[in-house]
Amino acid sequence: MEYVVEMQNIRKAFPGIVANDNITFNLKKGEIHALLGENGAGKSTLMSILFGLIQPDSGVIKIRGKEVKISNPNVANDLGIGMVHQHFKLVHNFTITENIILGLEPKKAKLFVDIKSAAQRIKEVSEKYGLNVDPYAKIEDISVGMQQRVEILKMLYRNAEILIFDEPTAVLTPQEITELMKIMKNLVSEGKSIILITHKLKEIKAVADRCTVIRRGKYIGTVNVASTDEAEMARMMVGREISFKVDKKPQEKGDVILSVENLNVLSNKKVLGLKNFSLSVHRGEILGVAGVEGNGQAELVEAITGLRRVESGKIFLNGTDITNLPIKKRIRSGIAHIPEDRQKRGLVLDYSIEDNMVLEIYDTPPYSKNGILNPAAIRKHAEKIIESFDVRSGKGPEAIARSLSGGNQQKAIIGREIELDPDILIAVQPTRGLDVGSIEYIHKRLVEQRDAGKAVLLVSLELDEIMNLSDRIAIVNNGELIGIVNASETDENEIGLMMAGLRKGERA
Amino acid sequence: MKRFTSLLLVVVLMATVLAGCGTGAGKGLKVGMVTDAGTIDDKSFNQGTWEGIKKAEKDFKIEANYLKPGGTTHADYIKEITNLYDAGYKFIVTPGFKFSTAIYEAQEKYKDAKFVIIDAAPNNGKEGNEFEEKVTSNTVAIYFAEHQAGFLAGVAASLQLKEGEFGFIGGMEIPAVQKFNWGFQQGIKYANDNFGTKISIKPENVIYEGSFDRIDAGQQLAAQMFDRGVKAIFCAAGGVGVGAINEAKQRNETGEKVWIIGVDVDQYHEGLLKDGKTSVILTSAVKKIDTVTYTMIKEELDGKFQGGKILTFDVSNDGVGIPATNPNLSDDVMKSVNDVTAKLKSGEIKVADSNDGSLIK
Amino acid sequence: MSNLENKPNNQEMEGLTETGKIKKVRIKGNRNLVVSLLAILFGLIAGAIYMLAIGKNPITGYYFILSGGLKNLERIGNTLATATPLIFTGLSAAFAFRTGLFNIGAPGQMLMGGLCSTALALTLNLPQYLFLPVILLGSMLSGALWAIVPGFLKAKFNVHEVVSGIMLNWTAYWIVYYIIPTYFKAEYLETESAMIPANASLKVGWLSSLFQGSFINLGLFVAIVAVVLIAFILDKTVLGYELKSVGYNRHAAEYAGISVNKNIILSMMIAGALSGLAGAAFYVGYASNMQIGVMPSQGFDGIAVSLLGNNTPYGVLGAAIFFGLLHSGKGFMNAMTKIPPEIADTIIATIIYFSATSIFIERMLDALKRRKRGAK
Repeated sequence: MEYVVEMQNIRKAFPGIVANDNITFNLKKGEIHALLGENGAGKSTLMSILFGLIQPDSGVIKIRGKEVKISNPNVANDLGIGMVHQHFKLVHNFTITENIILGLEPKKAKLFVDIKSAAQRIKEVSEKYGLNVDPYAKIEDISVGMQQRVEILKMLYRNAEILIFDEPTAVLTPQEITELMKIMKNLVSEGKSIILITHKLKEIKAVADRCTVIRRGKYIGTVNVASTDEAEMARMMVGREISFKVDKKPQEKGDVILSVENLNVLSNKKVLGLKNFSLSVHRGEILGVAGVEGNGQAELVEAITGLRRVESGKIFLNGTDITNLPIKKRIRSGIAHIPEDRQKRGLVLDYSIEDNMVLEIYDTPPYSKNGILNPAAIRKHAEKIIESFDVRSGKGPEAIARSLSGGNQQKAIIGREIELDPDILIAVQPTRGLDVGSIEYIHKRLVEQRDAGKAVLLVSLELDEIMNLSDRIAIVNNGELIGIVNASETDENEIGLMMAGLRKGERA
Repeated sequence: MKRFTSLLLVVVLMATVLAGCGTGAGKGLKVGMVTDAGTIDDKSFNQGTWEGIKKAEKDFKIEANYLKPGGTTHADYIKEITNLYDAGYKFIVTPGFKFSTAIYEAQEKYKDAKFVIIDAAPNNGKEGNEFEEKVTSNTVAIYFAEHQAGFLAGVAASLQLKEGEFGFIGGMEIPAVQKFNWGFQQGIKYANDNFGTKISIKPENVIYEGSFDRIDAGQQLAAQMFDRGVKAIFCAAGGVGVGAINEAKQRNETGEKVWIIGVDVDQYHEGLLKDGKTSVILTSAVKKIDTVTYTMIKEELDGKFQGGKILTFDVSNDGVGIPATNPNLSDDVMKSVNDVTAKLKSGEIKVADSNDGSLIK
Repeated sequence: MSNLENKPNNQEMEGLTETGKIKKVRIKGNRNLVVSLLAILFGLIAGAIYMLAIGKNPITGYYFILSGGLKNLERIGNTLATATPLIFTGLSAAFAFRTGLFNIGAPGQMLMGGLCSTALALTLNLPQYLFLPVILLGSMLSGALWAIVPGFLKAKFNVHEVVSGIMLNWTAYWIVYYIIPTYFKAEYLETESAMIPANASLKVGWLSSLFQGSFINLGLFVAIVAVVLIAFILDKTVLGYELKSVGYNRHAAEYAGISVNKNIILSMMIAGALSGLAGAAFYVGYASNMQIGVMPSQGFDGIAVSLLGNNTPYGVLGAAIFFGLLHSGKGFMNAMTKIPPEIADTIIATIIYFSATSIFIERMLDALKRRKRGAK
């Protein structure tokens, strides 16, 4: 069998951590090879080495049997290696064609960019692989899934033979994911070879031929996907048995903790993002909010937490009107919030973990007294969270938040919010972009809150997560509450229809 | 090779030592200057002083150097004077009224050094009864009769252009600049009264810009005046005047005929157009700073330093005037100006160095 | 999984374990110091190349800069006096930088601080022990008030503080231009205010005579106190924590209930108060009175001081003294070597330029380290 990529005994150490410890990875021609590992396992490091972004400390790389030294991404490009990054690198007010030819514009009379012929070629490539893009559409006008295809086209346009997909599904809707899988299969059937970096077992099962697992920088093994089940791969990745089902005790629903009444809230576009919205959350329950993104979830959460002004309506917490309370007072009265965007809102990335862990309580004893911070107390608090929430970093509490992996950043935030001992925990997309191990852990923690008689308001775009965790599910569409159903009495189909805006009884 | 290197080293060292010793000519006098606000090539005040020193350097084989203070405070000036003194410069020239308190202090502190201060006399800068002006025996204070220079420039410009609108741009509103302005207006009036010219000057065309270094502001002010129909602007404003000259040059390049009257030094060459032949400088109201500075150094070398005195330079001792030759002034005009100059010298004409209320600003 | 997680963290040495906590902090400090020192070294080398290019001996050049700044007590005093306003403006810039703001309005705040202290000094007549605190307080207040404007515009209307800051510099310039000649003009001096009376001047007899009549003044001690105080505020207090949070990530600060607008305004006020103090230290300390028509260059130099000092208070102190030494010794180098002042200014500017670009040095060090590791 011919290998197009052979990475042998790759080692790469960073200060305080060995990111790749003697890893071997071989890619056959025409296969989809998944690279599986938890966040921080070393997948991105390995691929950055292949793509020439960083240099290994030791090890050999062979491309099509020939030993090479990939000193920068240009060398990788010349070798036919292309990478679709998790965060797209596109110019938003350029057309698809302009984005794709950026850097190697075909010239007419040595002076003018020959857009027409480029667009023609893009159309051909696009048809060949079933990508279905309009070469003249502007990036800002097309969907995220389409943008990803532009990234794929960019590589194909540059004649890439080996394609690296870095967590390609993290930003896609379920339909788009299905489309992407189809495209990947088209690509291999045309002779391309694909490396798929992911931690989603379902996707590996769906498209990959083989799967290499790494854990904490070490090579664990390579398996044939067809003959290995998800549980086995999960075990290899995490190093222990994983349960996919959330254990939940029967619900003991208590008093109302949070209620919103007839809430009207403006969205960023200055139109009503939340319309006459009423909802209450009880002690001892997880209330899931299901809906397609942008249907009022953000406005609801921000209105409750105080980040967004309420036009009309009331918010009550434990019977007290908090509609016009400043954010800090709301936090003090028992609201905790795991924000949707952990890097934008959740953390001060340039602060150390310990400083981040007191973001909401730095001005209360024992963390400060008379306006002076108490570093010892802050350190102790951080160490407690790091230990009880398994936050891994090179330098413990002193580590700069930026240096942590996404999963560990998220665990730190969740730890911080749960340590606030809130009456209600608002969790928005708490597991987005995380690996199985972290997801399992975070789910367990949310259920613990519920079992302790607190309330959880869970906002998620992942229907599985909502269905698994929630006691009740509120479905939103276009800023309105479509209905509330008991999780035990519903199914994906019913919720899906409600997400599309059909109320119970309206259905034929 | 090694030997060659060491030889080279010795030569370099010798050269350094020799250079350090100086040549001993000019009695080993080292003349230093501290510049006022603005650069050494300000086409006026600093440059005039430095040119006088350089001429003396050439003629008498003295050593010369100038320093540029980091700011314009008393402390900044004292620091540079100290630097010059510590480096052996015992004859120090400071152009500008801003040096008055610094020289007041320095003349006492460095009794074995000589000081020349231009446009001011040393004083302690204090108020009322505490004020003291003192010129010690190691200092000469120099004033110029700027009003006479302004007067002659006004007469000459009026005679040459015969009719039209004139303007004035000053730097900061300080006596030396004000005297230029007042003299200029008196000169226009004298020409109108005695030679039948029809030159006018309107209040809105007499402006003190407020600084000596904002070239862009000078250009803008000049443009506004030219747009209002002004034919010639007298600029007593250092760098601000450079801006006005630039504006006049641009307009002349496109065929418009406007003039600038220069200040302090003969600015004819600053006003040359691209052809290198015609200049926008009609004439200049000259303070012969270079000559006076040169003379002070010469007197020191001759042992005739007039320490303790306040000297005033006017037409009578050829300290101020307009350049003897200027292609933009006709021979007839020059002749008339020379007559006027003679009358000034004899005292037949008097020019006021203050504003009795009849003058603008 | 982002690439960031594996980015080598430069401020940390390889193989250090939990037990090396204290050591780590020290190494971090050293690392920044090394970068700044290297920056200075490169600046000096660039300056030396410049001197060689005009046919001067750089060693003598630098020797005379050093001796010009340090040769005797008077010169040391003058070096420190030159550094004093720079410490304040450097602190002002650093404080703003640390809280996510760019205080380019320091010259204007310095002018307003200077104007207020000059006005107080020439209007009131109090015993010295009372007079000086009143003047310092006045300068702080007026600098702070002047800085509220860009702070408020930024907080309320998201007007960039650089734009409003620069415009306010000129506003202050012209206010001084009008007020000093109109109300405080010296009887016998042009374009200057009356002399500051002895009991209102930060220059005090014992200090001046200790340093052989130099211009060193009490402002230096106030500046050192300010350095310690600002370091304390930034690193050890709730206020500093809030300000830095807003500076680093205003969204996260907002999320945590920290008032972003309040802290932007507050941060500008503190930065403005520091620049105001620079005005007092300059106009009623170093200088003997206030002049019109001059935009104080110290306000802008503060930005370079801050960058060289790595935006830390103690770094600012060191950088300001270094700049003070350069500015102070430059004239002596001119006088001794006949390097023309314009060239000397260029040399100083080159050193400052290189010094302030420590970010490049940082990158270079990283590249070196990487190559070294790659070769292993």
